[in-house]
Amino acid sequence: MHMNDGADAPYWNGLAEGRLLLPRCGGCETWLWPAISRCGACGCEDIAWIERAMAATVFSWTRTWHRFGFTESLDLPFVSIVATIDDCGIRLLGRLDDPDRIDPVIGEAIAGRIGATRVGDRDIPTIIWSRG
Amino acid sequence: MHPLYGTTAVAGVGLRQYRRGASPLPEQGVLAEAILAACADAGFDPAEVDGFVSYGDDKNEPVRLMPALGTRELKWSSVVWGGGGGGIAGAFGLAAAAILSGQASAVIVFRALVEGSSGRLSAAVMAHHLNDHMLAAGIVAPAQVCAIRANRMYEHHGVPRAVAEELVRASYYHGARNPEAIAHDTELDLDAMRGSRWIAEPFRLFDCSRENDGAAAFLMVSADRARDLAKPPVYLLGCANGAEKGWGDLLENDDAALYPTAGFRPIARRLYADTGLSPADIDVVQLYENFSAQGVASLIDHGFCTYDNVAEVVRFDNLIAPTGKLPVNTGGGNFAQGFIHGIGTAYEAVKQLRGESANPVPGARTCLLAGGPGAPTVSSAIFANAF
Repeated sequence: MHMNDGADAPYWNGLAEGRLLLPRCGGCETWLWPAISRCGACGCEDIAWIERAMAATVFSWTRTWHRFGFTESLDLPFVSIVATIDDCGIRLLGRLDDPDRIDPVIGEAIAGRIGATRVGDRDIPTIIWSRG
Repeated sequence: MHPLYGTTAVAGVGLRQYRRGASPLPEQGVLAEAILAACADAGFDPAEVDGFVSYGDDKNEPVRLMPALGTRELKWSSVVWGGGGGGIAGAFGLAAAAILSGQASAVIVFRALVEGSSGRLSAAVMAHHLNDHMLAAGIVAPAQVCAIRANRMYEHHGVPRAVAEELVRASYYHGARNPEAIAHDTELDLDAMRGSRWIAEPFRLFDCSRENDGAAAFLMVSADRARDLAKPPVYLLGCANGAEKGWGDLLENDDAALYPTAGFRPIARRLYADTGLSPADIDVVQLYENFSAQGVASLIDHGFCTYDNVAEVVRFDNLIAPTGKLPVNTGGGNFAQGFIHGIGTAYEAVKQLRGESANPVPGARTCLLAGGPGAPTVSSAIFANAF
């Protein structure tokens, strides 16, 4: 489960450098997510990592009120979000700034910045989304 | 005819259920009692059992059960892949596969869960799904994953939120009338339900199944053998499990049309095709509802209603026995009968088709059992008392 030894290692390394990198098949240019080592559509094993802006729309969301294990670092309630990244259609899991507890609306535009979530003794990079 | 159609049967059932933390025995002991009860129910020597099947991270490796059961020879030992309750119905298909291929002759399907022995279920079923993408988003529990999908089903696909309450009400109605249910004699207080605390929006406490201690076991044998045993056979007519392209453990990148479903669309298509049956032929449904919205999605996936008419079909009056046209979870389901990782839904399927349910459906001949909605792989089966 270490972040830097899977097919998605470039994603994590990108976040650490302040960039959002997402995988696209070098053969048929299909965006691939979750990250995989071979494109199931065309069989190509050449995976390109392309930078995308942290601009997205809300695909869906939930606001968590119950204290589940591993969420101890997050103030309750917190909003988790599935965001559709512009210009590629990949959906990423992240969190939404929710100071006023305004329900997200599916399809609304959001913009992200790189933050981190502390889980146990690790800080996992993630995208924190805000409206507008 | 499909080889599964009516060729194997459940010959005996056993259930031991307690409130969480109230089990008098450790998990393996409770399971052994349930298996012995299933064999006694069928009038079958437990030492003759030669196969075991489970699902969903059960901790009781069959070989360890042998000394307590007197098992003479273990010939089949398997589990359905995938977490959650997605494997419940598929477990019966595995047992049938063993019997029909001659690799075993008497197979126990089981699931046991005693929290003091094996820990909280939510942590167990999430263990092999969790990754840094989810942890960083604060997504660590099935309730949250299902909540995100429920929000999409309600907001984008227009399913009215009120239908979830209808389903929960029906479960509690049946459970209150079932002496074996955790919620026996407990009427659901609607105000309490509507005012209960949020877990993960749109789910409040009563939208979520809650764990019980216990175990259930089912003895499966060939249909011919079942007819010589003590109880009327409950035949397996068909079973399907799996997932189609665009579904399952995809970091929420499932095909958009599949995203708000419970994953059953290919399963239902195959199940109906293999059995020659349609939703209109199903007399009663036992539905794994880990969360209320996923129960509704499961009914839609299985063709009992659509996004357009869901509110006409998923109505309390329509869901309850004996008068509803689509009786669902007649034992009380995961909400009210109890939640030993959903195995109680299979138990009620057998009881209902034997005429032993506390909420009998008049003339019921077929029962659909639907495994874990929303799980990466899911499964469904159709049982019948005559065909």
